[in-house]
Amino acid sequence: MKRIIVPGDLVEDKPLHLMDTFIEENKTYATVISIYDDEKKSLVPLEGLWYPQRDEPVIGVIEEAKLNTYTVQLSAPYKGIIISKYTEGKIENGDMVEAYVKELDKTGTVVLSRPRVLHGGKIVIIRPAKVHRLLGRANTMVKQISDGTGAMIKVGMNGAVWLKGGNIDIATDAVLRIQNEAHISGLTERIGNMVKDTAPKNASEPQAPKKHEESA
Amino acid sequence: MKNNGIQLITNGKRLDGRTARDMRSIKITPNVVKNAAGSASIEWGNNKIIAAVHGPTEALPRHTANPDRAVVKCRYMMAPFSSSEEHGRAGMNRRAVEISKVTAEVFENVILLDQFPGTEISIYVEVLQSDGGTRAAGITCASVALALSGIPMKDLPYAVSVGKVGNDLILDLDKIEDNYSEADMPVAILPRTNSIVLLQMDGAMTKEQFKEGLAMVIESGKEISRIQKEAIRAAYQEPEKEKAHM
Repeated sequence: MKRIIVPGDLVEDKPLHLMDTFIEENKTYATVISIYDDEKKSLVPLEGLWYPQRDEPVIGVIEEAKLNTYTVQLSAPYKGIIISKYTEGKIENGDMVEAYVKELDKTGTVVLSRPRVLHGGKIVIIRPAKVHRLLGRANTMVKQISDGTGAMIKVGMNGAVWLKGGNIDIATDAVLRIQNEAHISGLTERIGNMVKDTAPKNASEPQAPKKHEESA
Repeated sequence: MKNNGIQLITNGKRLDGRTARDMRSIKITPNVVKNAAGSASIEWGNNKIIAAVHGPTEALPRHTANPDRAVVKCRYMMAPFSSSEEHGRAGMNRRAVEISKVTAEVFENVILLDQFPGTEISIYVEVLQSDGGTRAAGITCASVALALSGIPMKDLPYAVSVGKVGNDLILDLDKIEDNYSEADMPVAILPRTNSIVLLQMDGAMTKEQFKEGLAMVIESGKEISRIQKEAIRAAYQEPEKEKAHM
């Protein structure tokens, strides 16, 4: 049976090593709001913060260029830094970048590597606990949105999602809908219906300007 | 029972018709502030309070940061229109500073602070309408807001006050009872272990009355905890509204 558990709720009467739980007196308790499946012994967090893991992709915005580093706003408790000597090409303040976590240093700064500037598009922030639901098993969910709307989508594990091209409005709505309905069953089907064949006719071209833009 | 010229209990009933062990009605609404990481509002009798949580974010000013763990900062504020007395117009008064401090200390006991070194977690408690017991209501509400923000915690604290009128103990004091009772003791509890994380007292009680008062708090806590958990679960009954864009 699946049930919603809140911080301090008993997960199991025995010690289980699950994410977002703690063990006290040989019992397992929840630390965040989650859905727990008693039969499968699986815990899916409904809320939660991002803990940087080595080699996972993140998306952020360059906040400041210093002498030999760039600081990156990651919408997280941690600030990212990119060491200038590892960068190729020009990076400026305000650029959106995709990079990979190299390490979390002792001062709580995430050292990033392999940065790549993302030109154009926009970033939408979702809660980090919903990133895995957005990706889906073997990235099927995000691929479904990308195929349906023709939008390019890159997902940072910090909860920042970069979108560009195609039917970007529907793609954004789909991303936010996944965040809001991640815990309600039948999500894949609902998203499938939402994004199906919504791509502009020539998906490789930027979306046609809207009427008010034409008149401007 | 007459107290300072005001009869707080008549024929076993308090001024608002409650018995000694009755609490006022409590209603908690989750996710009331879109741009906060987590938020909730509470209507506890005539008290109306909003609690919102930000963070963890970089601790500023930097000298407040702790390299080993997050720091909890709380701002409890009463709106200038919340009460008939002077509040909030000139910023925080001594009472607000005190309540902010004790509220932050309540949550320092439950948040897994070592997971976010060098950061700060900010809790804002805004009292829109007050009728006694706002620090207890604020803690109960902030607890729900923190859970909704996804910040890992070991428990969901609640708080309520107990007071003394003559030889009777009364639960959940309102403004008049707070002003004219012989003792007022707000208590915050971690329901999983019944640990006390806040205990203040204004006035005096005997040892027996203190023990009985604590028992009343813990008994009433079952209902408060149930309301908190129900409010959190209600947030997942229907699709939530979209969160902020960058």
